[in-house]
Amino acid sequence: MSETLTLLASFFPPDLKPSYLAALVPAFLETLGLVFGAMTLATLFSLPLALAVSMRIRGAGLLIHGLSVFRAVPDLTLAILCVIAFGLGPGAGLVALVLYYTAAMSKVFADLLETAPRGPVEALAATGASRLQVALYGLLPLTRADLFNYGAFAFECALRSSVIVGAVGGGGIGTELVGSLAGFDFQRATTQILMLVLLIAALDRLADWARNHPRALVGLIPFGLMAAWWCRPEFFALGHAFHVLGDMLPPSLPTDALQDLPRLVLETLWMAVAGTLGAAIIGLIAGLGASRRVSPAWLVFLTRRILELLRTIPEVVWGLVIVAVAGIGPVAGAWALGLHTFGTFGRLFADTLDHVPEAPGRAIASTGASRLMVGLYAVLPQSLKPVATHFLFRLEWNLRMATVLGLIGAGGIGQALYEAQQLFFYRQVMAYILVTAVLILAFDRLSRSLRARLNRTGGAAVSTGCLPSPAAAL
Amino acid sequence: MSQIIRLAGALGALMMAYVTPMAAQAARAEEPLRVGMIPDAGATQVSIEEKAPLQKYLSEKLGRPVKLIIPTNYNATVEALGNGSLDIAYLGGLTYVKAHARYGAVPLVQRDIDRQFHSLFITGVGSGITKLADLKGKTFCFGDINSTSGHLIPELILHDAGLNPKTDFKGFRYTGSHPATAQAVAAGICAAGAIDESVFHALVNGGKIGKDRVKVFLKSQPFADYVWAARKDLKPDVREAFAAAFLSLKPGLDDAVLKILRGTKFERASDASYQGVAKTAKALGLE
Repeated sequence: MSETLTLLASFFPPDLKPSYLAALVPAFLETLGLVFGAMTLATLFSLPLALAVSMRIRGAGLLIHGLSVFRAVPDLTLAILCVIAFGLGPGAGLVALVLYYTAAMSKVFADLLETAPRGPVEALAATGASRLQVALYGLLPLTRADLFNYGAFAFECALRSSVIVGAVGGGGIGTELVGSLAGFDFQRATTQILMLVLLIAALDRLADWARNHPRALVGLIPFGLMAAWWCRPEFFALGHAFHVLGDMLPPSLPTDALQDLPRLVLETLWMAVAGTLGAAIIGLIAGLGASRRVSPAWLVFLTRRILELLRTIPEVVWGLVIVAVAGIGPVAGAWALGLHTFGTFGRLFADTLDHVPEAPGRAIASTGASRLMVGLYAVLPQSLKPVATHFLFRLEWNLRMATVLGLIGAGGIGQALYEAQQLFFYRQVMAYILVTAVLILAFDRLSRSLRARLNRTGGAAVSTGCLPSPAAAL
Repeated sequence: MSQIIRLAGALGALMMAYVTPMAAQAARAEEPLRVGMIPDAGATQVSIEEKAPLQKYLSEKLGRPVKLIIPTNYNATVEALGNGSLDIAYLGGLTYVKAHARYGAVPLVQRDIDRQFHSLFITGVGSGITKLADLKGKTFCFGDINSTSGHLIPELILHDAGLNPKTDFKGFRYTGSHPATAQAVAAGICAAGAIDESVFHALVNGGKIGKDRVKVFLKSQPFADYVWAARKDLKPDVREAFAAAFLSLKPGLDDAVLKILRGTKFERASDASYQGVAKTAKALGLE
């Protein structure tokens, strides 16, 4: 324990020497260019695709369905495969991000376009407008706010993903961070994490500004394309990619790995459940602390800042740090998921508490009950349903993350996948990828039916992207 | 149906517009020679900058620009040699065996010490560990899973001593690099670990690891380790020029470069030296 604390202390102070900051600039720009370029391309691919679906063009739906393959595998796996096909560096990272986010965004955009109010759309169609005109002048403007929110949110997700992608050789800050942590260069790791946090915070402000100036986004497209060009894959080894793909088929596992499989799956499930449940429990308490209705202003301010810091640092970064400091295994993974999820839950729960109807609370307060009593007996019971919905959404996402965290040493099926991949046992890799995909899809289905039972009007549409619901983007 | 084709066509055209110039660019002359190194001693921008003298030396000797690349893991280095994104790579014994078997990598040069290399078992000075049997119930650090001196050979030694890391240790981990193993043992994250002898001595002599904190308690039998290897279809004259550059390294004249390579003298390498490593890898299920 004391060793762990000593190690934690060695993360401070961060290395802020100008010479080091200058050395980080290329990596920083690479991350920014990578994410900006990838998301510009992903948007340019996914928005027309989603519009095509809404125009009922046959085949577009099928295409999106086909793309869902990319969503079922963790982005880290995708990045590893892209490094094999496109070589090292940001090019592989760019392709991985474009594939993953085109798949995610086209699905969500298509779902969002479906939510456009029927009245105006039918009125427009009645004037004899073509399907294209209905889509461009009806569906698009009617759902613009939601599309933008999800897009901005996906951008932030991509920034987190870029760390993962960098970890396997996709370039940018991620590559630096993994290298620094592996080399016990913790003070520099802190510098990189701080830069990442600042970048995510800056992005948040930018998104707020762009929400009010949607036209400015169009002006960004040329810059996005330039960034994508700058980070383009320097070559494309199609023959090599097919060769490796051929090595993966047919998927198979040796007997001892097969016998170990149930334990690995349970370890991954445990990681997701323990992390999410732990975060939910302390998140409920922190939620009370961050609720304007329950707590005094100073406590609200303090709690919210702490929660903000916890959730701004991506799970993978928490994972890398905890694995480096406390060692590998599912406990490290659960902590990594838990810390980030706690930051998200605390805020979500507080917002839920602040938005439940006030009348029951006033009734209890009128009996002379304290603020705490009002919180426990009026506000909390009313917010259980939305809280449970958030919990399930988050559990779905954390199961995905649990497989990714396995790849960086947190145990479970992800770690088995990574080790098989490192040793070039590609048929095992494919077997693990398939098991992971089945696990994730089965759990998504289970969660969806639970959510449907819990909340018949729930916004089940948006459960596919980086995070399950736009609400979780807060 | 035609709509599907049109849609797929439009997407395809977009992708092509994006990919075609890459092919054109690949054909351009005066491309830098892309030289990769497994991240046996870390993979950050800073560690690449520390190797600047090596890059400068090579581009002077070869008369063309040299790009030094350190992938984040051993597997990526081999795959890069296989898919052609690296021309030449510095590999470990096991990674060379894999790169040769999978992609026909050609061995070029290696340090004189690489033919008779050793792996060291290290532990904290106060740990009380003096022999392999003491490792039972303790935590252990390997280097990268593909490392010869950090995983393959130690695994063999443990196996011969009747120890199975999965069942006999409290836990074990792959740190990803040799300095990380040394640091983890020094910090007490692992009770003991296995490490490359030349990295360990460089760390101790450079004062990065205190002699009062970490001690060696076992030295392996000699085995063949690191080698610089070229991708299968790299032109013979380029291979030859690269080998010559290394063979002409002289202590006293090129100390900055030799220090980076942790060696004093280079020799030609041959595939025959690696039969032992290949056999061990097969026997242990690592290949």
